Amino acid sequence: MKVRVERDSSGLHASSRRLLALLLALLALSVSGCGRKGGGSSKNAAVMDSTLVIAMLGDADYLNPVLASTVTSGNIIGLIYPSLLQSEFDTQTGLVNYMALEKKLRPITPGQGKKAPDAAIARSWSMAPDHKSITYTLRKDAFWSDGKPIVSADFKFSYELYGNPVIASARQQYLSELVGADKGKVDFSRAIETPDDTTLIFRFYKPVPEHLALFHTSLTPLPKHLWKDVKPEEFRHSPLNLEPVGAGPYTMRSWQKQQEIVLGSNRKSNLPKPGTIPSITFRVVPDYTVRLTQLQTGAADVVENIKPEDFTALLKANPQIEVKTVGLRVYDYVGWSNIDHEAYRKSGVIKPHPLFGSPKVRLALTHAIDRESIIDGYLKEYGVVCNTDISPSLKWAYNPKITAHGYDPEKATALLKAEGWLPGPDGILQKNGRKFSFVLYTNAGNARRNYASVIIQQNLRAIGIECKLDVQESNVFFENLQSRKLDAWMAGWSIGLEIDPLDVWGSDLNKSRFNFTGYRNPRIDQICELAKQKMEATGARAYWQEYQDIIHRDQPVTFLYWIKETHGFNKRIEGAELNISGTFYNVDDWRLRPSANIAR
Amino acid sequence: MLKYILNRLLIAVPLIFGVLTLTFFIIRLAPGDPAAFFIQPGISPNVAEQIRAQYGLNDPLPVQYFKWLSNVLQGDFGRSFSRAQQPVVDVIAEALPITVTIAALTLVANFTFGILIGVISAVRQNSFLDRFLTVTALFFYSMPEFWFALMMIILFALKFSLFPASGLNEIGAESFGPVDFVLDRLWHLALPVTVLSINGAAGIARYVRGSMLEVIRQDYIRTARAKGLPEKVVIFKHALRNALLPVVTLMGSSLPFIFSGALFIEVIFAFPGMGRVTVEAIFARDYPLIIANTFISGSLIVLGNLAADVLYAVVDPRIKL
Repeated sequence: MKVRVERDSSGLHASSRRLLALLLALLALSVSGCGRKGGGSSKNAAVMDSTLVIAMLGDADYLNPVLASTVTSGNIIGLIYPSLLQSEFDTQTGLVNYMALEKKLRPITPGQGKKAPDAAIARSWSMAPDHKSITYTLRKDAFWSDGKPIVSADFKFSYELYGNPVIASARQQYLSELVGADKGKVDFSRAIETPDDTTLIFRFYKPVPEHLALFHTSLTPLPKHLWKDVKPEEFRHSPLNLEPVGAGPYTMRSWQKQQEIVLGSNRKSNLPKPGTIPSITFRVVPDYTVRLTQLQTGAADVVENIKPEDFTALLKANPQIEVKTVGLRVYDYVGWSNIDHEAYRKSGVIKPHPLFGSPKVRLALTHAIDRESIIDGYLKEYGVVCNTDISPSLKWAYNPKITAHGYDPEKATALLKAEGWLPGPDGILQKNGRKFSFVLYTNAGNARRNYASVIIQQNLRAIGIECKLDVQESNVFFENLQSRKLDAWMAGWSIGLEIDPLDVWGSDLNKSRFNFTGYRNPRIDQICELAKQKMEATGARAYWQEYQDIIHRDQPVTFLYWIKETHGFNKRIEGAELNISGTFYNVDDWRLRPSANIAR
Repeated sequence: MLKYILNRLLIAVPLIFGVLTLTFFIIRLAPGDPAAFFIQPGISPNVAEQIRAQYGLNDPLPVQYFKWLSNVLQGDFGRSFSRAQQPVVDVIAEALPITVTIAALTLVANFTFGILIGVISAVRQNSFLDRFLTVTALFFYSMPEFWFALMMIILFALKFSLFPASGLNEIGAESFGPVDFVLDRLWHLALPVTVLSINGAAGIARYVRGSMLEVIRQDYIRTARAKGLPEKVVIFKHALRNALLPVVTLMGSSLPFIFSGALFIEVIFAFPGMGRVTVEAIFARDYPLIIANTFISGSLIVLGNLAADVLYAVVDPRIKL
């Protein structure tokens, strides 16, 4: 019996040994077949130790500061091109500070000012007492990466490109205060003067606050000596667009469209210095799940905008990953038509919307929506209830006294009752024979908004409002929104760091391109105008406080939540400081911790 | 036969032209605006208008059509709206080699494995092997490609890290020698080609099995066996040749696939191929690029069908063109 068992087991051993051999052979085959992985790993480790890999959703459009219009392009351009000034968002105050080599707009608050202003080409500036001109003195030791000096003429030349209607730069509104702009065409001979190579003067047709002047005159320059012969109508497809010449911490090594952009540290750069990491690769990975996988396997070091629902699994699968947050710049809202869009479209008549025309009704809707539970269910600690479109991050202007309209279905019902909305036989609220029933539109492919819209639907159903959901392709949704065909919708905004809400709330519906709600309040127009006239940003604080009170009272839309943007980082990256002005704000200072096999 | 081919090609010209004209008008009817991207806060209000003027979108539709027509007749498909005004031809020239590489590898694998599995199933009809292969083939055939691809990535890139999750080459591949570079490229193509060919081979195997079963029952096969020919010769020389007739049609209709790309696979594995070019063009309302893509896929469908018909005549002496 015993022997038999032994024989059996030895037989088993033999067959399992054969199996093992087979497996080993297969393994050997696969290793030799994909030999690169086995054989090339040490070579590759060396490459990886000097390369930062950033996985991104889409390719850059242009690596030309005059033409670029996507965030990705902006990030890369910031690394390649020099800038007149160095700007930095102060998280203590929420103000943007501008720095030249020897001058700062504002004193640096403790804990801020992590970047030295060495990247600035301006040595200093002086604002005329009448605020109608600004004069920069440029440094003499700034050079394009082809060795030519960077001079004031480069800036003037670039501004002429920015302002050329044939080129159609997305940044032409930066020129809107220059001399001549009030008459429809900037007069460059007077608006920008370059008496010598290191002096650059901008002239405005009206007094401009210093911070705005600095913001609007510090657009990224192009090298004049390379671009001067390019005709405006050929500007967008000039081959020079594919070989950007800059002066910043990185230069472009290669650009394979829709695949990857490789930057290499610019050894010659003194603006501010050569990038610390020798090489940065931006890879296009369109699929979110695959970007996540790449972060997990270490094939990518940075993946932006990771959904909160994926954090737990990600961090568990690879403890080498950390999630970094920035914010608050982005919010979602439910838009209600304040005016009857149909009547306005047909005859230009402005009258209140039959459902959402009254601020009381809109307030009731806000009370009826359980914003906290949307945050708890989806964003968790990465969401904050939003009251108005002034971000809590803009501390100098934010009004902390505003308390959120809490979730209170009873109050909502009472408010609606006072407005004449009473339950009908089917439980749906009615007024003058009209049911409180509408379609809430949103754009396709946004899981967060889908989640929120379902909760909103339930919340409203609970107080007798029928809300149907409809998801539209983004292009169609946006076109419908613009042509005022939607009564209620869910969308989001990403705010600028300079407060300028007139485009969204201005009473002149033809001029305010993004006033999709049709909200009109003369006091808001007034406040925006008055705030602009203050020559010091903080001087407008009182106006913005009042602005928030009004918006909070009128509820032109139901503000839902501010979103902390969450980005996944491999822990081998050291020194990454995320800033509201951008994920890659100090990427030229990042370092990579070498991997173990290199240390050996 | 030459006359037949010429005849078919001549008919194809107005056909493709009609398709392009229809496309030209249909895409302009669709809601959405190629310049919509430039309507956003932080971008000057006049940019969208300037861009529209540059693209010639402010002209009346008939004017746009005739301008487009005269350009196309001169072989100029224009410049892409959404891809930095690159000439459309260049955009396609960049994407096409990638798509063709993947598709060619896939097709070879498809037909090799498909025919092999089909023949085995037919010869061993109703055996365990046949059932096993049939069930497996159906299992893969009915599986959505994108899901299968993600599962393969999770298994082979994440759990076992044998293959890369996406991309065409490793970081720093430019510094590899040519052999290493090609190996690296093949290593990156392994997963996507596997996904595509398992899916396709499963379908082809079903066709081959069916037609093989029919052929095997024919009298001439019995005669061949009666002559005492070895079974290998009977199956591969006498039966398979005849069984492959329907497969030839499949080959013809796969031609458009070679050039039009496999969207899901390209998105998931981050290949900048034709599938992505087409779909991104549609979402961006990039009219010139959409039309050029329609031209390519339209012509290929016509050519593919023609090729299938001609191949029929070549492989089957009973068919005369």
